[in-house]
Amino acid sequence: MQLIWNGLIVGSFYALVALGYSMVYGIIKLLNFAHGDIYMLGAFAGFATLSAFGISNESSIPLLLVIMLLSMVTTGLIGVGIERIAYRPLRKSPRLAVLITAIGVSFTLEYAVRQIFGPNPEAFPVRLESSGFDFAGMRITAAQIVLVVIAAALMLVLAHIVERTRQGRAMRAIALDPQGAQLMGVNVNRVIATVFFIGSALAGAAGVMAGAYYGSIDFLMGFIIGLKAFTAAVIGGIGNLYGAMLGGLLLGLLESFGSAWFGGEWRDVFSFAFLILFLTFKPTGILGARVVERM
Amino acid sequence: MHTRTPRIRRALSIAAAIGAIIITAGCSGGLAGGDGGDSGNSDGPIKIGMLAPFSGSESAFGDYMKNGAQLAVDEINADGGVNGRDLELLVEDGACDATTAVAAANKLVTAGIVASVGGYCSGATLPTLPIFDEAGVPMVIPAANSNELVSQKLPGVFLINGTGTQQAQAAVAYAQKSGATVVGVIDDATSYSADLAKSFADQAAAAGLDVKLKATVTPGENDYSSVATQLASEKPDLVYWTGYYQEGGLIVRQATDAGYEGAFLVGDGSVDAKFAEIAGKGYTEHVLGTFTQTPDMITGADTWIADYEKLAGGKPGPYSTQSYDAVRVVAQAMTDAKSTDFDKVVSALEGLKDFKTFAGPLTFTKDHTLSGGGFVIVGIDPATGNFVLKDDLQG
Repeated sequence: MQLIWNGLIVGSFYALVALGYSMVYGIIKLLNFAHGDIYMLGAFAGFATLSAFGISNESSIPLLLVIMLLSMVTTGLIGVGIERIAYRPLRKSPRLAVLITAIGVSFTLEYAVRQIFGPNPEAFPVRLESSGFDFAGMRITAAQIVLVVIAAALMLVLAHIVERTRQGRAMRAIALDPQGAQLMGVNVNRVIATVFFIGSALAGAAGVMAGAYYGSIDFLMGFIIGLKAFTAAVIGGIGNLYGAMLGGLLLGLLESFGSAWFGGEWRDVFSFAFLILFLTFKPTGILGARVVERM
Repeated sequence: MHTRTPRIRRALSIAAAIGAIIITAGCSGGLAGGDGGDSGNSDGPIKIGMLAPFSGSESAFGDYMKNGAQLAVDEINADGGVNGRDLELLVEDGACDATTAVAAANKLVTAGIVASVGGYCSGATLPTLPIFDEAGVPMVIPAANSNELVSQKLPGVFLINGTGTQQAQAAVAYAQKSGATVVGVIDDATSYSADLAKSFADQAAAAGLDVKLKATVTPGENDYSSVATQLASEKPDLVYWTGYYQEGGLIVRQATDAGYEGAFLVGDGSVDAKFAEIAGKGYTEHVLGTFTQTPDMITGADTWIADYEKLAGGKPGPYSTQSYDAVRVVAQAMTDAKSTDFDKVVSALEGLKDFKTFAGPLTFTKDHTLSGGGFVIVGIDPATGNFVLKDDLQG
């Protein structure tokens, strides 16, 4: 039971970051390798805001939510900026060029943050209360519950946007057929910018949550989670939103069980071996084939 | 490429040596004119090189080491240098990565260094040893302390940080002193950490302790819930964490949340004020560390700290003092040897007796490690989060 719960916690981080990966891929077929670093930027944006106000060692949920919203707006705008500067000029270029640019953006973000905040890991100023209680054979902390609730709420909001709003419909249209959508009067550039905004905001939120939950942030923290989120997106079916959520949670569970069975040092081997298995036997992912309309 | 490089270098150095002999012979009418291996530039500054991490995840330590070494260089130069020549410190980024470190070591050798005072990550330092050895550069290693470094018996390798074995000895001594019977050990799979963990497990078992848990984690992740859960269910009296402080802080917090109540002992890589910040308030009461003494634990080191802050614009950190001492040890050896020649400097290093350093009087053993490990037990001061001296293990 404890393993399942641990897995779900990590999984919800993966899922939030994987959503941005999947949305961007779904709409412009780009693997945005800088996405993990947006997660890192979210954590640092929160850190910078809190330090500017001289807040340290607090544990209040309303404060966390405010910081999270601020960071989401910041990373959202940064995401839009990155798309405008680094990806849009290359939209007609071969895919490889854009992929390499994405890696370049990733390093740029990492080392820019290193220049500004220094290479040391920083302690996040707001921490979630983490006194625990035992329930059904699991040890659950208040922080974990807050985390899961916030993650679930963000995902519900996103599902609502994509399924029920005009913007969402436009996104789905572009994912299906960019030229066609343009002919029908959809402003493709604006919709793509919106997708980058939403995806980056979600990653930023995950970054702040990671900061508040784990308490330590550093400029390379986005790298591994970026790869894991990519794995989650592939497992779920890249380009598919529900696939990304499912993939994230599933990957979290796999890792939790994998490291319990083989030991912690095998955790990454286990999850990336799973990525290879999926790419070999079911490259479309779990939900990939069943859904005709990608987004 | 790998097998050919040394051969080419050897050919080049022979050619250079012949050239040097011809020049020396031409100038002074005989071989007696030279004063050792670097007769070609005996008027310029004595170049000493340092490999430290300035990029990558360990990059925080690079500046601590560089500034510590630079402080020693400045002081020695102000006192008239070594054998009438100034010291010059050349610094290269080793990035805690074997490939980068090898390239950087070659660069330093090409730049003409006559001694090396660097080496932070054992995993990155190890492959640079043969390069320096081949070039006739003695190495006084300030931070890296894996036993692997001296097990190859290269003549020029000296460790001025206690080795893993000595640190593990201190950890076991403390475990016994505190009455622990069941112990655990966690490492992060890096060369330094795995080495220390193995040493601890072996010595603890030999001392009659029950080593119930041996775990390895991947550094750089945030979630260590699996090892935390393991700790909570195995419940050792004391667990020794041999990795670095970022993961250490997270593991302490997560294990405490999961219900582990035993003592946490951490290795010197984790002894940093950030540890308490990362673990969070109220999580560091049972955290202790094995560590060599630092200036803030030594009375009368205030002027040193002030000088350091003036040079670096910040507080000294881990390995600042060791790097400072490494330069002084090398300078002393060159002064004693009245030369920068490899063999003479190495025998001068071997001949050092009770040379005063921050970690206590320094004398090298036959293996080129410290005769006294100098490890003490430190604990976290709940008010400031800094590590302070807790037990010097002297009885």
